[in-house]
Amino acid sequence: MIRAVIALLPANQRPRMRLHLLLTVLSVIVRSIGTVLLISLVAALFGPDPASAWPWLGALAAATALGWVLDTVISTMGFDIGFALLTHTESQIADRINEIRLDWFTAGNTATTRHAIAATGPELVRLIGYLITPLLTGVGLPIGIGLALLPISWPLGVAALVGVPLLLGAFFGAARLSRGADRATAAANVDLTERLVEFARTQQVLRASRRADGERGLAGAALARQHGASLRLVAMQIPGQLVFSLVTQLVLVLLAGTTVVLGVTGTLSAPEAVAMIVVIARYLEPYGALAELAGVIDSARTALRDLSAVLAAPTTPRGSERPVMAAPTIRFEQVGFAYGEGPAVLDDFELELAAGSTTAIVGPSGSGKSTVLQLIAGLHAPTHGQIVVDGHRLDALTEESLRDLVSVVFQEPYLFDGSIADNVRTGSPEATDEDIARVAALARVDELIDRLPDGWHSRVGEGGVALSGGERQRVSIARALLKPAPVLLVDEATSALDTENETAVARALSDDPVRRTRVIVAHRLSSISAADRVVFIDQGRIVEDGTIPDLLAADGRFASYWKQQQAASEWQITH
Amino acid sequence: MARRGFNGALMRAFTKDHVATVREVEYLAPHFVRLRFHSDTLLDDVVLAPAVWLRFWFPGVDDPTTEHQRAYTITEADPTSGDFAIDCVLHEPSGPASVWVAAAEPGDQISVMSLGPSKFTVPPEPPEGYLLIGDAAALPGICSVINALPSDVPVEVYLEQHHPCDPEIPFADHPRMQVHWVPRLDDTSLAAAIEARDWSNWYAWVTPESASLNHLRVRLRDEFGFPKSEMYPQAYWVEGRAMGTSRTEEVTTTTPQEKPAPTPPAPTPNTTTTAAPAQPQKQAQPQKQAPPQKRWKANAGSRLLAPLKSTFIVAGVLQALVTLLELAPFVLLVELARRLLAGTGGLWSLGITAVVLLGVGAVLATAMMVWLHRVDARFARETRQRLLGKLARLPLGWFNDRSAGQIKKQVQDDTLELHYLVTHAVPDAVAAAVAPIAVLVYLFAVDWRLGLALFIPVLIYIVTMWVMAVQSAAQTVQAQRWAEWMATEASVHLEAQPVIRVFGGGAGSRLSRKLDDYTSFINGWQRPFTGKKTLMDLATRPATFLLLILGLGTPMVISGSLAPVDLLPFLLLGTTFGSRLLGIGYGLAGLRDGMTAARRIQTTLEEPELSAGPVPTRSNTVGVEFDQVGFSYRPGVPVIDNVSLQLTPGTVTALVGSSGSGKSTLAALVARFHDVDTGAIRIDGRDVRDMTADELYSAVGFVFQHSQLVAGTVRDNIALAAPDATDDQVEAAARAAQIHDRIVQLPQGYTTMLGPDAALSGGEKQRLSIARTLLADTPILVLDEATALADPESEHLVQQAISRLTAGRTVLVIAHRLHTITHAEQIVVLDHGTVCDRGTHDELLQCSQRYRQLWEAGSGTSTADPLSVGTEGVAL
Repeated sequence: MIRAVIALLPANQRPRMRLHLLLTVLSVIVRSIGTVLLISLVAALFGPDPASAWPWLGALAAATALGWVLDTVISTMGFDIGFALLTHTESQIADRINEIRLDWFTAGNTATTRHAIAATGPELVRLIGYLITPLLTGVGLPIGIGLALLPISWPLGVAALVGVPLLLGAFFGAARLSRGADRATAAANVDLTERLVEFARTQQVLRASRRADGERGLAGAALARQHGASLRLVAMQIPGQLVFSLVTQLVLVLLAGTTVVLGVTGTLSAPEAVAMIVVIARYLEPYGALAELAGVIDSARTALRDLSAVLAAPTTPRGSERPVMAAPTIRFEQVGFAYGEGPAVLDDFELELAAGSTTAIVGPSGSGKSTVLQLIAGLHAPTHGQIVVDGHRLDALTEESLRDLVSVVFQEPYLFDGSIADNVRTGSPEATDEDIARVAALARVDELIDRLPDGWHSRVGEGGVALSGGERQRVSIARALLKPAPVLLVDEATSALDTENETAVARALSDDPVRRTRVIVAHRLSSISAADRVVFIDQGRIVEDGTIPDLLAADGRFASYWKQQQAASEWQITH
Repeated sequence: MARRGFNGALMRAFTKDHVATVREVEYLAPHFVRLRFHSDTLLDDVVLAPAVWLRFWFPGVDDPTTEHQRAYTITEADPTSGDFAIDCVLHEPSGPASVWVAAAEPGDQISVMSLGPSKFTVPPEPPEGYLLIGDAAALPGICSVINALPSDVPVEVYLEQHHPCDPEIPFADHPRMQVHWVPRLDDTSLAAAIEARDWSNWYAWVTPESASLNHLRVRLRDEFGFPKSEMYPQAYWVEGRAMGTSRTEEVTTTTPQEKPAPTPPAPTPNTTTTAAPAQPQKQAQPQKQAPPQKRWKANAGSRLLAPLKSTFIVAGVLQALVTLLELAPFVLLVELARRLLAGTGGLWSLGITAVVLLGVGAVLATAMMVWLHRVDARFARETRQRLLGKLARLPLGWFNDRSAGQIKKQVQDDTLELHYLVTHAVPDAVAAAVAPIAVLVYLFAVDWRLGLALFIPVLIYIVTMWVMAVQSAAQTVQAQRWAEWMATEASVHLEAQPVIRVFGGGAGSRLSRKLDDYTSFINGWQRPFTGKKTLMDLATRPATFLLLILGLGTPMVISGSLAPVDLLPFLLLGTTFGSRLLGIGYGLAGLRDGMTAARRIQTTLEEPELSAGPVPTRSNTVGVEFDQVGFSYRPGVPVIDNVSLQLTPGTVTALVGSSGSGKSTLAALVARFHDVDTGAIRIDGRDVRDMTADELYSAVGFVFQHSQLVAGTVRDNIALAAPDATDDQVEAAARAAQIHDRIVQLPQGYTTMLGPDAALSGGEKQRLSIARTLLADTPILVLDEATALADPESEHLVQQAISRLTAGRTVLVIAHRLHTITHAEQIVVLDHGTVCDRGTHDELLQCSQRYRQLWEAGSGTSTADPLSVGTEGVAL
């Protein structure tokens, strides 16, 4: 774990961290010496001349005070280092996220990343002071006391040193046993939980199908299984909870026994033996403090794991070419793509889009239409093959030139909390008011602006929640049109939105005066009609390709799709 | 510096003073003033929330060098400009506050400090109602609470009237609020005026005058059963004392006015209530007899755990024993030292005793753990069985009202939380409490002087802790908010990644900026603590205790007032006394979390179930009959109001109306997602409440927007309601539902396993559930926006499937698009839960204005959704 911390530490903090560790060791030494001073002090108190204890008390006070001073310095340093760790890590994370391959963000990884951003802050700041320092002290102090005992009474020193690995082993072993038992219990619970949650989730259909008797169904069976498993797991739970306290007490008896033997054989005087007993108690104390760290260790471990996961996530490759392009030709050369480890969505995909043309991609759901768009936008990288834009490989471009190349209308557009004007302007911060008025008219945002009381200044809410789906879509069309990119990609919404919205999509494709190469994933006849060319895709392959009249005449997949769409719009519920 | 008394000085030392300048003075009533202030820095310290207070320091009337504190609720605040306002009652006799406020003019300045976070939040599942009690001085706080309440909870406000003009004070608005002004006769009159009724599961905000509060507190707790967690009692002022005295004087001042002796609570109704003008009014009817009490949700946890009570007691006693056995070796060590010093024998027997005690302790601890785990396993199974049974009997609507996450929390996380509660929480708490107490008793028995000294570091710890708590009260709340903000910010940043990557620029750097702000907040919050945390650590570490013990013990031993041997127990057990004592708090925390989970589980177990109607009615109608049906989710807010409707067998009836008109609720009532409040729904003359689930769902089938698939194969899913169906029947249903071709493309065809994540599109899932409904073959069918989620590519197929499904059945449909139902035999237009028109499409176009509006909103296109266009609008 300490290694993970050092890896996260910025280079300029390393010397400070070394000094911090050095001081921590020094503090342990001072405290060990303080403990050994006890022997003389207590022995004097129990001896014939208690007054001879004074100088020893003075020495103990000095050692304790020195310990206070040292630890104050250590804790201030610890905070500084922790804070440096925090600022450094947070900025690394923020930069990293923008480079990670988008398909890495599965539900699980997204949760990990969210946690890494939002929940690790206080954890990192406290990491040094609340975890590393006490951990080192807790482990170091018994060793220090054992070493300090060697010159005074070597058998006890040796016994104490032998006890260290024993106690540490019991401490970490118990923690491991408990974790193992917890994992086994959790595993036994997973199946049950899934069944219970599903039972609750599907109540509608279970009842409609007269299958809602939980105890006799899958959930009931899982419950019985889990009960059996949890009874078996009891045997696993117990050792973890008892091992440490047992070993501690055994070591205590062992050390006390050694002291007694030394005392009885006359190697130690009676007062010295008593003093040794006091030292033994002190020797065991740090382990109690270690036990309190268990929770902190767990949460720090989680935080560090999440941070490392994000920092180690795969990134999208970028190159160094910065070409200036007008509406380019886009060519897919034997492109293959799969999300993560999943099945191939595209395989040996070949397609050339002419400069300045408008192409509609049509096909059943799951056919890979949106993937084609995302690949052009550079949001995903092909797993093999390449996409070439006007002779430049897409992955050879810098991040900036790739960004300048494309503008996108997303299927589920995300708007940022702010005004409508702010969101449209995201497309091009330098745009003039005339530019904005022009795209607003094209995207039918002007109608929206007229209707809302605050006009351009109406707030859209985070994600755009204050607007309806259709309104959100139109703002996002305006945003995309404003961006002076030579490639425009439109991923049409699957759900029927509103008339204004259909008009906006069609106009964005046909009335936009900027010369661009346009690609649209289209669902509705109105938007398909605006394209020069239709590519029908099924299961990652192009099955038909041509103009609308050609394809209708061919009477193939597209033609039947076209007819179904027309039929769907006139369908009625009857008997 | 002005004098503020001891407590004030402490406050002053640890919290920041701000200067506020009066901007405006407005009299809202003759004795009620709103003061508007400006302060550059104050609002940075304040987390704005309902009923947040500020502490003002007013100069003394007779001695201007003293300062007197008085707290006021913030009534207006604008954090960006630094402007805020408070409302003040001008009390008679006037104290320093009233004197200052009465004379205040724009430009005057005053010292203010933030007084910590708000004590009021609306929980995710609000209580059944809010009982707000106070008077004019508490009104600003009460109003801000009312403004934060959801509009559908009932609110009862009882206000004690001290001044004839009190009812003139402007008041907050709430649609379900009743206000009662109660003239003050004596300090019991307000308590007596509270209606004697069942207040179970209400929340009480009680902020009246101090003496009234005492009576209210007793009545609410003893008579109405308000648990501590559901009541916030706080006196805002004290009758008969010049308000605004400094704290030290508050303790010593006696009430100068004569106070009427407490009289029994028997004011007559006509004198107890006068209504505020323009407010809903109601006569408070004080009653003597104890009101009925339902079950308080706040106590639900104890009810769930009641069967385990004796287990907990035995476990507690056993753990106490184990803890004492664990301490025994230290006592034996002292004895060992005594014998070593004395040179007496018997060392072996001591050793044997130690080992035996160790063994006994270990065996006992093991036995207890095994036993508790077995009890836990049995209890967990029983609880889950009850939960499972409960889930099957709850109204289906219960599931609609909760997200998957909430349901998961209840069936999974809460039952897991119980595991710790049953197996560990009680032993941990007992161990945490018994160990320091036992040590304390032992050490005090040996030498009380040294024992007392051990409290010095503990005191240092507690004072430091208190100072930290006072200084960071606002930041602790802010830290919570920051964590929430950052979680939201992170979600936003991740969700918007595609947009950020395409559009870049400012959108992308937002997270970095926010992170910078967050780190500087953490720095400002945590850095000042470093020193104090170190102090707390140094004060309670064993080395410090050791030095303390020896520093005091050495002179005592030398002077002969302490036997050296008596020092030993302190050296062995005294050093860890501090950490043991401070561990009590942690030990109890586990109990609290477990109790919260137990409470949530029991609350679910006590949810009302579907039940047979009081007197199930019969009629001779065929088909489905809605007979004067009324229904509401929360009492007093009807969603369906007196709807009567007849579905003739074999016809299509369409429900139309804007969203919120109640059409989905009405359709769900046929499928008995909820039970009607009034009237009845009958199928072929039988009340649905009189039918078993089997009978009902043999008659009624439904297809909704979200189709549910169960874990199992494709075949299992289609044949769910008809497990005995043959393969041919299953395939025929699949073909009719236009899904057969897709199924045979799946890896294992009909035997492919489906789960919640099955790789089917929305339209495909919908067709699968239509196949299931076809096979179930119910004569009555409810369709609610069944094509809304189908992807355009498969919409046509879903439509064809629905056409096959509806053939020959009695259909109740809620249409996604109006044009799809123009051929329905009957179209019912709903508005605010009542039927406003009915007829065929042509009839309604002619004579129903509401229908024409809906039609026109969606006409002109074939795809537009008139409902969303007509009603969603923009919520800005």
